[in-house]
Amino acid sequence: MPVPFEALIPMGLVGVMFFTTGTAYKGLKMIRNDGKPQRSNIDNFDVMMMNRDERLTGSQRGQSMEAIAPKEFATNSAWSTEKVG
Amino acid sequence: MATHREANFPSTPYVDPSPSPSSIPHVDEVGATSAPLKSASFFLGSYCQKYNEDFMLCKSENRDPEHCLKEGRRVTRCAQDLIRKLNQNCAKEWEAHWQCLERQNHELHLCRKPERTFNQCVFDKLQLKKEIPGTPEGKEQIHEKKNPIWKGMQR
Repeated sequence: MPVPFEALIPMGLVGVMFFTTGTAYKGLKMIRNDGKPQRSNIDNFDVMMMNRDERLTGSQRGQSMEAIAPKEFATNSAWSTEKVG
Repeated sequence: MATHREANFPSTPYVDPSPSPSSIPHVDEVGATSAPLKSASFFLGSYCQKYNEDFMLCKSENRDPEHCLKEGRRVTRCAQDLIRKLNQNCAKEWEAHWQCLERQNHELHLCRKPERTFNQCVFDKLQLKKEIPGTPEGKEQIHEKKNPIWKGMQR
Protein backbone atom coordinates (compact mmCIF):
# COMPACT_ATOMS: atom_id res chain seq x y z
CA MET A 1 0.00 0.00 0.00
CA PRO A 2 1.54 3.34 -0.94
CA VAL A 3 1.78 6.01 1.80
CA PRO A 4 -1.23 8.43 1.69
CA PHE A 5 0.89 11.51 1.29
CA GLU A 6 -2.11 13.78 0.59
CA ALA A 7 -3.15 13.32 4.24
CA LEU A 8 0.17 14.58 5.46
CA ILE A 9 -0.23 17.92 3.65
CA PRO A 10 -2.86 19.40 6.02
CA MET A 11 -0.95 17.99 8.99
CA GLY A 12 2.11 19.77 7.69
CA LEU A 13 0.14 22.98 7.22
CA VAL A 14 -1.18 22.86 10.78
CA GLY A 15 2.31 22.18 12.03
CA VAL A 16 3.64 25.19 10.14
CA MET A 17 0.90 27.35 11.66
CA PHE A 18 1.84 26.22 15.18
CA PHE A 19 5.49 26.87 14.39
CA THR A 20 4.95 30.39 13.08
CA THR A 21 2.66 31.50 15.90
CA GLY A 22 5.00 30.00 18.47
CA THR A 23 7.98 31.71 16.92
CA ALA A 24 6.08 35.02 16.75
CA TYR A 25 5.14 34.79 20.45
CA LYS A 26 8.71 33.96 21.40
CA GLY A 27 10.01 36.81 19.25
CA LEU A 28 7.65 39.32 20.87
CA LYS A 29 8.65 38.12 24.35
CA MET A 30 12.33 38.47 23.44
CA ILE A 31 11.75 42.02 22.16
CA ARG A 32 10.15 42.91 25.48
CA ASN A 33 13.05 41.35 27.40
CA ASP A 34 16.02 43.01 25.67
CA GLY A 35 16.63 40.07 23.34
CA LYS A 36 16.71 37.46 26.12
CA PRO A 37 14.17 34.75 26.97
CA GLN A 38 11.48 35.81 29.39
CA ARG A 39 12.00 35.05 33.08
CA SER A 40 9.54 32.54 34.49
CA ASN A 41 8.67 31.45 38.05
CA ILE A 42 9.59 34.84 39.42
CA ASP A 43 9.24 34.96 43.21
CA ASN A 44 9.23 38.02 45.43
CA PHE A 45 13.00 37.98 45.75
CA ASP A 46 13.37 38.04 41.96
CA VAL A 47 10.81 40.86 41.73
CA MET A 48 12.83 42.84 44.25
CA MET A 49 16.10 42.16 42.41
CA MET A 50 14.62 43.04 39.02
CA ASN A 51 13.30 46.34 40.37
CA ARG A 52 16.80 47.01 41.74
CA ASP A 53 18.23 46.22 38.28
CA GLU A 54 15.80 48.73 36.80
CA ARG A 55 17.01 51.38 39.24
CA LEU A 56 20.62 50.56 38.36
CA THR A 57 20.45 50.21 34.59
CA GLY A 58 17.07 51.51 33.40
CA SER A 59 15.67 48.14 32.32
CA GLN A 60 14.47 45.16 34.32
CA ARG A 61 16.71 42.85 32.29
CA GLY A 62 19.70 45.17 32.10
CA GLN A 63 22.84 43.93 33.83
CA SER A 64 26.09 45.48 34.93
CA MET A 65 29.14 44.17 36.73
CA GLU A 66 30.45 47.39 38.20
CA ALA A 67 31.56 47.47 41.81
CA ILE A 68 30.24 50.99 42.43
CA ALA A 69 26.68 52.02 41.57
CA PRO A 70 26.00 55.20 39.57
CA LYS A 71 25.35 58.29 41.67
CA GLU A 72 21.61 58.37 40.93
CA PHE A 73 21.13 54.96 42.54
CA ALA A 74 21.47 56.38 46.04
CA THR A 75 18.31 58.48 45.76
CA ASN A 76 16.13 56.98 43.01
CA SER A 77 14.22 54.43 45.06
CA ALA A 78 10.51 55.06 44.70
CA TRP A 79 7.43 54.47 46.77
CA SER A 80 4.24 54.14 44.73
CA THR A 81 1.70 56.58 46.11
CA GLU A 82 -1.89 57.54 45.54
CA LYS A 83 -3.73 60.76 46.21
CA VAL A 84 -6.00 60.48 49.23
CA GLY A 85 -8.88 62.90 49.71
CA MET B 1 -14.71 41.50 56.66
CA ALA B 2 -13.44 44.15 54.26
CA THR B 3 -15.08 47.48 53.64
CA HIS B 4 -15.47 48.20 50.00
CA ARG B 5 -12.98 50.59 48.46
CA GLU B 6 -12.88 51.69 44.86
CA ALA B 7 -10.17 50.17 42.73
CA ASN B 8 -7.26 52.58 42.57
CA PHE B 9 -4.34 52.21 40.22
CA PRO B 10 -1.82 54.61 41.66
CA SER B 11 1.03 55.45 39.41
CA THR B 12 2.68 58.42 41.01
CA PRO B 13 6.10 57.39 42.27
CA TYR B 14 7.34 59.29 45.28
CA VAL B 15 11.09 59.77 45.05
CA ASP B 16 12.95 61.46 47.87
CA PRO B 17 15.98 63.13 46.28
CA SER B 18 17.55 64.30 49.52
CA PRO B 19 20.87 62.58 50.29
CA SER B 20 21.50 60.65 53.47
CA PRO B 21 22.50 62.72 56.54
CA SER B 22 26.15 63.72 56.79
CA SER B 23 26.45 62.11 60.24
CA ILE B 24 26.41 58.68 58.55
CA PRO B 25 29.72 57.73 56.89
CA HIS B 26 29.21 57.62 53.15
CA VAL B 27 29.69 54.31 51.32
CA ASP B 28 28.91 53.90 47.63
CA GLU B 29 26.35 51.27 46.79
CA VAL B 30 27.18 47.99 45.08
CA GLY B 31 26.73 48.46 41.34
CA ALA B 32 26.39 44.81 40.29
CA THR B 33 22.98 43.61 39.17
CA SER B 34 21.19 40.32 39.82
CA ALA B 35 22.86 37.95 37.32
CA PRO B 36 26.52 38.80 38.14
CA LEU B 37 25.68 38.68 41.84
CA LYS B 38 24.04 35.28 41.52
CA SER B 39 26.99 34.02 39.56
CA ALA B 40 29.44 35.23 42.22
CA SER B 41 27.15 34.41 45.14
CA PHE B 42 29.12 31.52 46.63
CA PHE B 43 32.39 33.46 46.37
CA LEU B 44 30.78 36.47 48.05
CA GLY B 45 29.60 34.09 50.74
CA SER B 46 33.01 32.67 51.48
CA TYR B 47 35.08 35.84 50.95
CA CYS B 48 32.86 38.07 53.09
CA GLN B 49 31.67 35.39 55.49
CA LYS B 50 32.57 37.10 58.73
CA TYR B 51 31.01 40.44 57.75
CA ASN B 52 27.88 38.72 56.44
CA GLU B 53 27.48 36.68 59.61
CA ASP B 54 28.05 39.78 61.72
CA PHE B 55 25.31 41.59 59.82
CA MET B 56 22.85 38.70 60.09
CA LEU B 57 23.44 38.33 63.82
CA CYS B 58 22.96 42.06 64.25
CA LYS B 59 19.71 41.91 62.28
CA SER B 60 18.46 39.02 64.39
CA GLU B 61 18.79 41.26 67.45
CA ASN B 62 16.76 44.16 66.06
CA ARG B 63 15.26 44.63 62.58
CA ASP B 64 15.36 48.40 62.76
CA PRO B 65 17.46 49.58 59.78
CA GLU B 66 19.30 52.10 61.93
CA HIS B 67 20.62 49.39 64.24
CA CYS B 68 22.78 47.63 61.66
CA LEU B 69 24.07 50.45 59.49
CA LYS B 70 27.70 49.90 60.51
CA GLU B 71 27.68 46.17 59.79
CA GLY B 72 25.86 46.90 56.53
CA ARG B 73 28.59 49.30 55.45
CA ARG B 74 31.18 46.62 56.10
CA VAL B 75 29.24 44.11 53.99
CA THR B 76 28.95 46.62 51.17
CA ARG B 77 32.66 47.41 51.21
CA CYS B 78 33.62 43.74 51.23
CA ALA B 79 31.29 42.95 48.32
CA GLN B 80 32.68 45.85 46.32
CA ASP B 81 36.21 44.63 47.03
CA LEU B 82 35.46 41.14 45.72
CA ILE B 83 33.64 42.47 42.63
CA ARG B 84 36.65 44.66 41.85
CA LYS B 85 38.96 41.65 42.19
CA LEU B 86 36.73 39.53 39.95
CA ASN B 87 36.67 42.28 37.34
CA GLN B 88 40.44 42.52 37.39
CA ASN B 89 41.15 38.79 37.27
CA CYS B 90 38.30 36.74 35.84
CA ALA B 91 36.08 39.22 34.02
CA LYS B 92 35.63 37.18 30.83
CA GLU B 93 34.71 33.91 32.53
CA TRP B 94 32.40 35.75 34.93
CA GLU B 95 30.65 37.51 32.07
CA ALA B 96 30.24 34.21 30.19
CA HIS B 97 28.64 32.59 33.20
CA TRP B 98 26.19 35.33 34.03
CA GLN B 99 25.22 35.84 30.40
CA CYS B 100 24.36 32.12 30.33
CA LEU B 101 22.33 32.55 33.50
CA GLU B 102 20.44 35.46 31.95
CA ARG B 103 19.44 33.21 29.03
CA GLN B 104 18.47 30.32 31.30
CA ASN B 105 16.13 31.99 33.78
CA HIS B 106 18.92 32.24 36.40
CA GLU B 107 18.97 28.45 36.85
CA LEU B 108 22.40 27.35 38.02
CA HIS B 109 21.98 23.72 36.93
CA LEU B 110 21.57 24.76 33.29
CA CYS B 111 24.86 26.62 33.10
CA ARG B 112 27.40 24.17 34.50
CA LYS B 113 29.94 24.45 31.68
CA PRO B 114 30.65 28.19 31.97
CA GLU B 115 30.43 27.77 35.72
CA ARG B 116 33.23 25.20 35.66
CA THR B 117 35.61 27.54 33.80
CA PHE B 118 34.66 30.45 36.06
CA ASN B 119 35.19 28.43 39.24
CA GLN B 120 38.55 27.21 37.93
CA CYS B 121 39.66 30.77 37.12
CA VAL B 122 38.60 32.07 40.55
CA PHE B 123 40.36 29.18 42.26
CA ASP B 124 43.57 29.85 40.33
CA LYS B 125 43.65 33.62 40.72
CA LEU B 126 41.86 34.28 44.02
CA GLN B 127 42.09 30.92 45.81
CA LEU B 128 38.36 30.80 46.47
CA LYS B 129 36.52 27.49 46.15
CA LYS B 130 32.79 27.16 45.70
CA GLU B 131 31.37 24.90 48.38
CA ILE B 132 27.68 24.45 49.02
CA PRO B 133 27.22 24.46 52.80
CA GLY B 134 24.84 21.85 54.05
CA THR B 135 25.67 19.05 51.63
CA PRO B 136 25.45 15.75 53.52
CA GLU B 137 28.77 14.27 54.65
CA GLY B 138 30.34 12.06 52.02
CA LYS B 139 28.12 13.25 49.18
CA GLU B 140 29.89 15.06 46.39
CA GLN B 141 29.09 18.66 45.63
CA ILE B 142 26.20 18.87 43.19
CA HIS B 143 27.99 21.28 40.89
CA GLU B 144 30.86 18.80 40.52
CA LYS B 145 28.69 15.80 39.63
CA LYS B 146 30.00 14.21 36.46
CA ASN B 147 26.80 12.99 34.80
CA PRO B 148 23.84 14.82 36.30
CA ILE B 149 20.31 13.70 35.54
CA TRP B 150 18.86 17.21 35.59
CA LYS B 151 20.51 19.18 32.85
CA GLY B 152 19.57 21.34 29.91
CA MET B 153 18.23 20.13 26.61
CA GLN B 154 20.86 18.87 24.21
CA ARG B 155 21.03 21.45 21.46
